Amino acid sequence: MLKYILKRIAAMVLTLFIILSLSFFAIRLIPGDVAGENAAPEIKAAMEARYHLDKPLGEQYVIFLKNFLSLDFGESMTLYPRRPVFAIIRDKIPTTLMLNIFSLCLTIPVGLFCGIAAALRKNTIVDYAISAMVVFNVSVPSFVFATLLQYIFAYKLGMFPFLLEIEGGFSFSKFWSMILPVLALSFGGIATITRYMRAELFEALNSEYMLLSKSKGLSNVQSTLRHALRNSFIPLCNVIIPMFMNLLGGSMVVENIFGIPGIGSLTSASIQTSDYYLTIAVLFFYSVISLTSMLLVDLSYGIVDPRIRIGGGKVRE
Amino acid sequence: MSKKKQIKLEVPETPDLEKITQEKIDAGMFENVADDTIHDQAIEGEAIGFFKDAWMRFKKNKSSVVAAFIILFIVFMAIFGPMMSPYHFREQHTEFGTLPPRVPILENFGIFDGTMQMELFEADAIEMGDAIKSIEREFYWTYKNKQYKKVIANVDMYKYTGAEDHYFIFGTDNIGRDLFVRLWRGTRISLLIGFVSVIINCVIGVVYGSISGYYGGKVDMIMQRFIEVLGGVPFLVMSILFIMVLGAGVQSFILVLILTGWIGMSRMIRAQFYRYKDYEYVMASRTMGARDRVLIFRHILPNAIGPIITQATFAVPSAIFSESFLSYLGLGIQAPEPSIGVLLAEGQRVLTTSPHLTLFPALIISLLMLAFNMFGNGLRDAFDPRMRGL
Repeated sequence: MLKYILKRIAAMVLTLFIILSLSFFAIRLIPGDVAGENAAPEIKAAMEARYHLDKPLGEQYVIFLKNFLSLDFGESMTLYPRRPVFAIIRDKIPTTLMLNIFSLCLTIPVGLFCGIAAALRKNTIVDYAISAMVVFNVSVPSFVFATLLQYIFAYKLGMFPFLLEIEGGFSFSKFWSMILPVLALSFGGIATITRYMRAELFEALNSEYMLLSKSKGLSNVQSTLRHALRNSFIPLCNVIIPMFMNLLGGSMVVENIFGIPGIGSLTSASIQTSDYYLTIAVLFFYSVISLTSMLLVDLSYGIVDPRIRIGGGKVRE
Repeated sequence: MSKKKQIKLEVPETPDLEKITQEKIDAGMFENVADDTIHDQAIEGEAIGFFKDAWMRFKKNKSSVVAAFIILFIVFMAIFGPMMSPYHFREQHTEFGTLPPRVPILENFGIFDGTMQMELFEADAIEMGDAIKSIEREFYWTYKNKQYKKVIANVDMYKYTGAEDHYFIFGTDNIGRDLFVRLWRGTRISLLIGFVSVIINCVIGVVYGSISGYYGGKVDMIMQRFIEVLGGVPFLVMSILFIMVLGAGVQSFILVLILTGWIGMSRMIRAQFYRYKDYEYVMASRTMGARDRVLIFRHILPNAIGPIITQATFAVPSAIFSESFLSYLGLGIQAPEPSIGVLLAEGQRVLTTSPHLTLFPALIISLLMLAFNMFGNGLRDAFDPRMRGL
């Protein structure tokens, strides 16, 4: 187990290194000037010296990697001039985190409930209605849905504010302004959980151990709760754990639409203003999150279901 | 010790072969014991092959058939739609900016008649004259302690801008380009990106997965490690980097979708090979001297034809979604060429004043994704009935 984890972490570090190198060289390849086209030569020289752009590429790369290893991600260039990138990201995390926690509080219970209801009432009107909702959720892109929510509820009906309330501590009006973004964020996740839950539970309900548990005298409720549900939760790890990890990531589109000053809108803003170091750091941040969640998913299999042995070497797959 | 008994073997006389062969045998010497009729039911109807079987099952699924027609309609409109309109997708009518939709026959029924609800000062409203169709309500607006009379009126934008001879059936954008033409042109580009990337992904995935799955062992190990590293890079990160370097365009979009898009297909194909390569029929064929190429492409791969088609169908909407998502983030196809994502991003900025610019692209992309998902579901059920309803 420990050997397996170490192996995975080594692979993760390798992948991160590749991403980092790729992003470094990719950003150097982008046409354009740091100081802007009409900048005075002195300003240009000063900026190039500050960001080590006057040194040869190989040396830049070494400096860049060295700084990264010491967790110095550099400074923002255009978006928040001269602020350390690390501090910018740190400041953006709480907003994103708060919204995403609210969204998960909605996504997981609703998704599980819909999935269970659909599986228990398979091929009835309940099942069809839920399946129709899932198809709708899968088909309508999140940005279309977010725009739709904003247009109908914020503009036409005026029930909710247009944008997220940023200032001040936590208040009712702030909570009220968070409802639309949270709905938009939960939209896709609900469909995913419902679909998985329905398929897994349906399979579990038709399995032989359910027949056994009923024949030994358990009631329908008991056998469903204790056996079928518990077994069908295993594959759900695959979708739910990444959702927890994405708490930090945020959604670029939803954050843009509702004016949320989080990681997502930071990413798109940094790309649009070609803020090199900020972009690299944000992309790196995303990569760390996604790789860690992948590792956690794989590890969770062994914990949730002891039958699954991970890291076994020579066994036929 | 007993005496050995002498056993005499009776050797039958060898028949005289020559004599027998010379004997004449004709049919009359035999008697038919069985009767002539075959006591079995004749096979009625024609033989049903794999695709015919799938087609029969597919036809029964009404929603998938409808979805197939929707896809065909959208593809048709994407190809021929821009030709149906008298306008060109780059043609600007700056004087007819952001006109709401106006459709020839429907306008008589009060919908899509080119009117727009506007909040106006009374003086402006009077100036507009004829263009105002009806006044919804009047109210007073206080600004710096002065009261101004304002009206909410339905304004016939076509009369107001002098565009009465024109019918922009989906409306126009802020520089007066016809949305109908731009939307179908954008759909064409989105579909093009989707189809091309999916076809290339299928080819790469099938070849890669086949080799990895068929040869197994060291080859498989190395190929799978490569996939792990490549698949580890988040899609968004990879695509953003590549588009930043290559610049946004149809080619770079397709390239971005190909970079990691084939991994899913190759995994599926590899699993298929692991399943079938130990089957007896494969062994038989190998014993008879079939080469690897024949075994891979003629004997094992055809088993996966159903899942390949199904997976490819599901890949098309996700490719279209990725494209519009990236366009929406401002990494989109460069102007003047539209794509659905670009149109949506443009529409989002003027959502409250001209919702039609968001409505139609949103409708088309949702319909397209819905249709592809339903179509894919139908195909999956048709090719593999065991998966039905899962």
